[in-house]
Amino acid sequence: MTFAAAYEDPPVAWGVGRVVVGDEVIPWPVSMRDIDDETESMVPRLAALGLAEGGLVLIVSLLSDTIHVYPFEQAAGKLGALYSSADRSPFDAFRTASLIRQLKPTVVMGIDRRVLDGLVDAGRDLYEVFAPVPAVVAADDDAATRLAATGLTVRRWLTIGPTSALQPLDDDALVYDPTRWEIESSNVGASGELVITNLVDRLTPCDRFRTGRRGEVLEPGLLRTT
Amino acid sequence: MGDPNRRMFSPEIEAMPREDIERLQEEKLLGDLVPWAYERSGLIRETWDAAGVKPADIQSLDDFHEKVPFIDKDAIRSYRDRHDDPYGGLLCLDPADPKLRGVFSAIFSTSGTTGDPTPAPYAGRGPSMLVREFWEAGTRPGDHFMHCLFTFRGPGIHETIRGIGATPVFVDHQPEDIGTLLRLSRELRPTGWYTMSGPLLMMIEQALQAGDVDPVDTFSSYTGVIFAGEPLGPRARSRVESWGLELFIQTSLGDVGAATECAEHDGCHFWEDCAFVETLDPQGTDAVGDGERGELVSTTLVDKIAPLIRYRSDDLVRVTREPCACGRTHGRVTPLGRKGDEVVIDGVSVLPGDIWGAVELVDETQAGLFQIVRTGCEMDALRLRVGYANEGPKGLADLKTRVTDSVASAVGVQPEIDLVENAVLLRQGPPHKIPRVTKA
Repeated sequence: MTFAAAYEDPPVAWGVGRVVVGDEVIPWPVSMRDIDDETESMVPRLAALGLAEGGLVLIVSLLSDTIHVYPFEQAAGKLGALYSSADRSPFDAFRTASLIRQLKPTVVMGIDRRVLDGLVDAGRDLYEVFAPVPAVVAADDDAATRLAATGLTVRRWLTIGPTSALQPLDDDALVYDPTRWEIESSNVGASGELVITNLVDRLTPCDRFRTGRRGEVLEPGLLRTT
Repeated sequence: MGDPNRRMFSPEIEAMPREDIERLQEEKLLGDLVPWAYERSGLIRETWDAAGVKPADIQSLDDFHEKVPFIDKDAIRSYRDRHDDPYGGLLCLDPADPKLRGVFSAIFSTSGTTGDPTPAPYAGRGPSMLVREFWEAGTRPGDHFMHCLFTFRGPGIHETIRGIGATPVFVDHQPEDIGTLLRLSRELRPTGWYTMSGPLLMMIEQALQAGDVDPVDTFSSYTGVIFAGEPLGPRARSRVESWGLELFIQTSLGDVGAATECAEHDGCHFWEDCAFVETLDPQGTDAVGDGERGELVSTTLVDKIAPLIRYRSDDLVRVTREPCACGRTHGRVTPLGRKGDEVVIDGVSVLPGDIWGAVELVDETQAGLFQIVRTGCEMDALRLRVGYANEGPKGLADLKTRVTDSVASAVGVQPEIDLVENAVLLRQGPPHKIPRVTKA
């Protein structure tokens, strides 16, 4: 007998996360099945960043990112790797630096402007903090630019509606799952707003949902931001 | 599954007769945890060997009290540094063991308020014992539950919310997300909220003042809100209660769990099927009596990944095992402060909790953001750094005088006050609390 003797039946909605389009926050319920399916989808994304059995990915995020982040956490386990977490905020930037030093992660993903601001405010040298990490993944353009300026090679993570695209180690384009999501540019064949449609069942469906992200679809499964 | 109108989530455990609790503790501790930890934990083995104690020497709870040596945060950090082991010698499982694939899943970390965050290994264990607290605070199957925490605590809380059949709504414990928290409170009508903290309360108050928001209407769906991170001053509690919210105070149980008030609000229940709690003389090893002030010493009964055994928490508390009016038989703890935060000036002991209400009483410093500047336990003067929201109508000199008088009146010692803007102290987060003691 540990903790409680039994639990109540879980609800249909695994949780209410969000999709952010510009300044608009859209509550986004997801099911356990959605989470499991996204997990399967993200396993090859993490593997393409070099995460493998015995490795560790440090995911820098906020709780409001949960529907995007939880599949990565579960995917790490499917690769035989561990994950750790730090908040994506200037207040918690010290944790990102500390866990990189203590845990020696293979991948650090989710770094944005706020984390870098927090590190700089604390007098940390950005190159020294991130140089030991084989794969550093930025969550916004500002962080990608600033980290690259220090001489680091930086990959990109982009949330597109309720899913994610990640840049692997060996490609300049970002990779998403074309078997589960159809992503189009509003300006066909060129850069425009990315719109997304789910190809498999989701608790909250999207039908040419306008993501507010700008980019160009190079071929199904590959895109670049603009 | 069960009767949603039942008072307790697990009545067979929460109201278990004391003799059954103690029998269960002895079984778990002596038959399981002690030999397991000694064989696998480098820190436990090193500490016990240095004391000349073996698991075979511990045949009863009396033996445990008399013979088992203590560990503390310094011992963990020392082991970590000497052995280049981020887990401080506590880890009992090998993360690389293929048999543990999918079990040993993550490494979380402590808040890091007083130093480097300590990595805390985690195995997916489903809902935690907090199902009992969330149920007591009124959440039921089918409800929405505001999950307002941090990422570095891991997924245990959202699994716990689902364990009572509710749906978590993920919101950040950050100033930028207060607007969304207020909006989703109105739209989704959640019943539970984990957690509220002093800094979050301040952010909400600012948002309420800036916008045309009726807090009573906005928060009317909540049956209970768990407040954690730091003590809650009387003025802050009164402010939150004026919004119609019932707060359930939660405190740490010496890093082996948490303890939370029930609706009687008469101490924080800790779950004695999960933790073995002792209250000892802060300067020695003798147990203090029921309800007397002592240092919390905790031992896990459920964590076999990185078990803490006789962990001196540095927390000063009062513990009682008198039955609670709610019907629960497990002990209750009332936090008083941290031993390492105590200062003595002219023979007068002062803890942050003694100052809290006095700082809150002044309008400009009502957020209760302050630090004791502590150079040692015995000090010539009480030096405080106090955060303010604005200089007040007569400027900083006047504000300083009012804060000084308020604190002097509360603790009987004339303080030296250094005023700083609230933001200066908030930057020293983590977001739910600030260090209450600083060296300079």
